[in-house]
Amino acid sequence: MSNISLLQKAMDASSLRQQVISNNIANAETPGYKTKQVVFEDILKKHLTNQTNFAGNRTDARHLVIGNSNNIPTGTVVDNTNSVIQNNGNNVDIDEEMTRMGKNSIWYYTLTEQMNSEFQQLSIAIKGRS
Amino acid sequence: MFDSLNISASALTAQRLRMDVVSSNIANAESTRGKFVNGKWEPYRRKMVMMEPREKNFNQILQGEIQKQSESKSQLQGVRVSGIVSDKTPFKTIYDPTNPDANADGYVMMPNVDISKEMIDLLAASRAYEANVTAFNTGKSMMLKALEVGR
Repeated sequence: MSNISLLQKAMDASSLRQQVISNNIANAETPGYKTKQVVFEDILKKHLTNQTNFAGNRTDARHLVIGNSNNIPTGTVVDNTNSVIQNNGNNVDIDEEMTRMGKNSIWYYTLTEQMNSEFQQLSIAIKGRS
Repeated sequence: MFDSLNISASALTAQRLRMDVVSSNIANAESTRGKFVNGKWEPYRRKMVMMEPREKNFNQILQGEIQKQSESKSQLQGVRVSGIVSDKTPFKTIYDPTNPDANADGYVMMPNVDISKEMIDLLAASRAYEANVTAFNTGKSMMLKALEVGR
């Protein structure tokens, strides 16, 4: 897996997380609404620690994957149902959502910078420094 | 692609409607002639906004099924106003025999609007509006940042 595709997945997860946080803030006072969260880092970590040098050679798309698989995991949305904050069953913690949103946007900026430098390196490899 | 902005926009609309309803309640806090029922005037009833998470409409579900996108399965559509309902609490009665709407005993039915309750609701709506504006701006600046990739 290349750095660019890895960064792309991370940016996808970050933008999904922004959507989820927007949704949580939008429903901050909706009765019965439960907070949603994006799980990505844990899945990615699990995926990366499972990488081995032992890998089955696949000559057909229908073959089973042995060892490393090339598809990087995507973020998934989970509901946080086991807590209650307001009397109407809603459990949105607005402060937490705002902090998470700030964190997520900085993470996204970092990823775009990283992505930029990847392309910069490619460009140097192609054209040389001029 | 613009989902996060659409979600925030739906909440901005909902919160603005809530503010409109609060304004209506405050404006009509003294309206003794809200509704004409069986030949008698009934005072204005306090209105409340009900909100619910917005679900996908038929077309969006169909498009998602056709394209089999994994992200289309998520229920991230923001918020919608399910209706404006009337507050069922009883009207206040005050003694004012000079009022043309007073009954035989001299009591006038006044709207069940509590100004302090309305002010709190107004403040909550305005804070929620601000939070959603922040979310909107963050989403927007993230998108603008993504446009800089490869510059």
